[in-house]
Amino acid sequence: MDELFKQLAESLSQVSGFIYPNEAELHWALLVVIYPYLTGLVAGAFILASLEKVFKVKEVEPTYRLAMLTALAFLIVAPMPLLAHLGHPERSFEIFLTPHFESAMAMFGFVYAWYLMVVLLLEIWFEYRADVVKWSESQKGWRRLAYRLISLGSNDISPKAVAFDQKAVHTITLIGIPSAFLLHGYVGFIFGSVKANPWWSSVLMPIVFLFSAIVSGIALVLLLYYFTTLVRRKTPEMSCLNKLASFLLYTLIVDLSLETLDFIHRLYESEESIKILSELIFSKLFLSLTIVQILLGTIGPILLLAIARFSRLPDELKRVGYFIAALLIQVGIFSTRWNVVIGGQLFSKSLRGLTVYKMQLVGAEGLLVGIGFLILPFLILFLLVKLLPPWQESRSS
Amino acid sequence: MRTFRIPDQVARLAVLFAVAVVALVVVRHIFVPKSFGKLGHYRAAAVDEIASQSVRYAGMQTCVECHTEEAEKKSSSFHRGLACEVCHGPASEHASDPEAKKPFVPRERGACLYCHNYLPSRPTGFPQILEKLHNPMKPCPTCHNPHDPTPPHVPGTCSACHASIARIKAISHHDSLECETCHEASPQHRQDPRSALPKKPTNREFCGKCHAQNAPSAKEIRRIDLATHGGRYLCWQCHYPHYPEGR
Ligand code: HEC
Ligand code: HEC
Ligand code: HEC
Ligand code: HEC
Ligand code: HEC
Ligand code: HEC
Ligand code: HEC
Ligand code: HEC
Repeated sequence: MDELFKQLAESLSQVSGFIYPNEAELHWALLVVIYPYLTGLVAGAFILASLEKVFKVKEVEPTYRLAMLTALAFLIVAPMPLLAHLGHPERSFEIFLTPHFESAMAMFGFVYAWYLMVVLLLEIWFEYRADVVKWSESQKGWRRLAYRLISLGSNDISPKAVAFDQKAVHTITLIGIPSAFLLHGYVGFIFGSVKANPWWSSVLMPIVFLFSAIVSGIALVLLLYYFTTLVRRKTPEMSCLNKLASFLLYTLIVDLSLETLDFIHRLYESEESIKILSELIFSKLFLSLTIVQILLGTIGPILLLAIARFSRLPDELKRVGYFIAALLIQVGIFSTRWNVVIGGQLFSKSLRGLTVYKMQLVGAEGLLVGIGFLILPFLILFLLVKLLPPWQESRSS
Repeated sequence: MRTFRIPDQVARLAVLFAVAVVALVVVRHIFVPKSFGKLGHYRAAAVDEIASQSVRYAGMQTCVECHTEEAEKKSSSFHRGLACEVCHGPASEHASDPEAKKPFVPRERGACLYCHNYLPSRPTGFPQILEKLHNPMKPCPTCHNPHDPTPPHVPGTCSACHASIARIKAISHHDSLECETCHEASPQHRQDPRSALPKKPTNREFCGKCHAQNAPSAKEIRRIDLATHGGRYLCWQCHYPHYPEGR
């Protein structure tokens, strides 16, 4: 109890202006920042994967399977921060048993389940089936058993059956793109539809979320692709990296334009909230918005990518450029989520005061738990990659 | 003619899917309470469950049947709006067996302060006291009958009831003005406030009596051009009259 009072007293000393008593402490903390960040990575990685299948961008083929596994690993973890934040994760399945169609939050369960079961798992299954069958013949012990199980005993790898697999993958990808849009657009919708909060309430929110998702997903796959080829002592394919960098550059520009549009629109409308929001931007969010999100996370990578992509630098330098840009983008997108979630709670509903967010180190919603949720997807991805190697050379055909 | 055969993969997935659907149906059957959804998005049986809980509050009607004296007293007092059990606590057991079970009788000062201690957020005119200053150490019932709390004598000042206004005015530019300068209040307002509400200023000219350029008031009072200052708005749409700010 004393601890809590001390914490509260410390926060209150940094509160400015007028706030209501229930606004001193933030209710949506670090874990709710991580949740849209993770779902964004899922949607982004999937949309990158679909480029190869639907739009036939041959250059990015080496990343296709990696992107699919990345999407799966992050999707598995995506709802965990939410469940941890709400408490009682054991009750979460009840939203499936007694669906409530008027609650956007409850419907997320269904969007998630659809995306996991019908899109990702199915597509990965069809994509890997032929290889899994072959692996189940060439491997021994528990691996053999695992591959048998995964293939569901569907052992037909005649050209006709494999052709059907490919057709199925194509169809699922077609369904998957709108689903990925739905998954992350939905997260933006949740924030955008909070009409009492002028920082969130905007129809552009889902679209801004979507594009930042695509940016972060592509950047993540680029990082992973680069990193995994190095670890396997291979040289990354330059045409693939170049293509990824181009896509990254274009989506980043669209993302920046959308956010600028949102910004200008707010400035021009100048609703009664504009004063407190500009105060917010120039005080509590100055570092995370202006410096990290806009300068380091958006403008910096755009310049870096443009220079690395369109200049005559040697390949090694280009790669380093891409790598740094992708890293900066991750930091930038994370602070985007931070600025939305935390920023939206830093100002009072009275539009007359600002509060602060004090992150805990330990505890259910502390920094350590957050870092855990950010590391967990990579561990899952590691296991997935061990089980279903996405590299070209491990394809048996 | 070629007959269409379902591909092997699809057939196997279909089996898996069917198993999942069956599992869902089974789980739903086990976990969803039988009465769920009958009345709305909740368990209908919860209503009966709540209804079957034992009654703790008897309600004022019940108390009145036996305690006519207190009830009568209260019914025409300031406390007429309060139910007996707000102060005496849940007394259903007492009502059904008065001898065996006595209700709580709140004799300490704390019980009344719950509603009457000074809080700026309480509505205007709600009777409030500062506990430390208002006849300390003596239990409230020594002077106020809880069932008819009319004070032993009529409050002399407006601040007894309008404490927050009085306090903020005391540190404002208008400190030197009496409440009655701006509010014509009959003595009856202090006895039975709602039956005789005081008057409030209604137009700009009222403030102009002291603040207009040509007003016959003290020289150091700041002046404004009554015709143009603040447009057509009433003065108190911009200046809180009990704490006017002009600089
Ligand atoms: C059936 C009649 C009856 C009803 C109904 C009833 N009371 Fe009483 N109550 C009594 C009697 C009789 C006494 C006096 C007992 C005594 O003096 O020993 C009493 C005593 C009390 C006392 C004084 C206790 C004390 O310690 O001196 C309070 C307070 C009281 N009642 C409150 C209530 C309230 C509140 C209700 C309504 C929920 C209520 N009563 C309903 C019959 C009733
Ligand atoms: C504002 C709070 C309040 C309300 C409302 C209230 N009472 Fe009381 N009641 C008291 C207090 C305080 C005492 C103790 C008085 C004393 O010690 O002189 C008391 C005493 C009593 C007594 C005991 C009298 C005695 O002399 O021992 C009875 C009986 C009683 N109340 C019944 C009722 C009934 C019936 C109602 C509803 C009609 C009611 N009260 C409403 C606060 C309240
Ligand atoms: C549940 C809240 C509540 C409690 C507890 C309560 N009162 Fe009151 N009291 C009121 C209300 C409501 C009024 C009526 C105010 C009005 O008319 O606007 C009132 C009015 C009064 C008044 C009249 C003031 C006036 O306008 O002249 C006095 C005195 C008073 N209460 C004393 C007491 C005492 C003494 C106690 C403790 C035994 C007590 N009150 C407990 C709610 C409460
Ligand atoms: C010594 C007798 C005495 C005691 C004890 C006492 N009061 Fe008063 N109370 C008065 C008088 C007299 C007034 C009339 C206003 C004034 O002159 O301050 C009054 C006024 C009030 C008022 C303000 C409404 C009004 O009409 O001014 C409230 C509320 C009130 N009392 C509640 C309480 C409460 C609650 C307690 C117990 C904590 C309490 N009183 C204890 C004598 C007393
Ligand atoms: C016994 C308590 C009490 C005292 C003493 C008292 N008032 Fe009031 N006053 C009230 C109450 C109760 C109201 C009604 C509040 C409401 O209905 O919102 C009220 C309302 C008012 C209003 C608002 C009327 C309106 O139309 O909104 C004014 C002005 C006012 N009082 C001035 C005074 C002045 C001036 C004095 C001193 C001469 C005074 N009051 C003394 C209790 C009191
Ligand atoms: C300079 C003139 C002035 C003085 C002095 C003044 N008032 Fe007022 N008061 C007003 C005006 C003007 C309003 C109407 C405000 C409105 O309608 O928004 C008002 C409104 C009120 C109201 C009802 C609205 C509210 O704010 O709750 C109360 C009660 C009240 N006054 C009480 C008092 C009391 C008690 C004092 C003395 C302590 C006092 N006033 C002194 C000008 C004055
Ligand atoms: C539209 C809002 C508005 C309205 C209506 C308004 N005022 Fe003002 N008043 C102000 C502002 C703002 C100031 C600050 C000084 C300035 O720049 O004029 C001020 C200043 C003042 C001053 C101090 C002037 C000085 O020289 O320091 C007085 C006295 C004053 N107002 C009285 C009044 C009176 C009396 C009325 C009604 C006839 C009124 N005001 C209506 C906004 C308003
Ligand atoms: C009975 C005369 C009188 C009336 C009526 C009056 N005032 Fe005043 N007002 C004063 C005095 C005296 C001062 C304090 C002057 C000083 O401190 O310099 C003052 C100060 C002010 C100030 C602060 C000016 C400054 O120096 O910052 C404002 C604003 C103001 N009054 C507004 C109003 C409004 C609005 C009304 C109408 C509801 C009103 N007054 C009615 C006498 C009056």
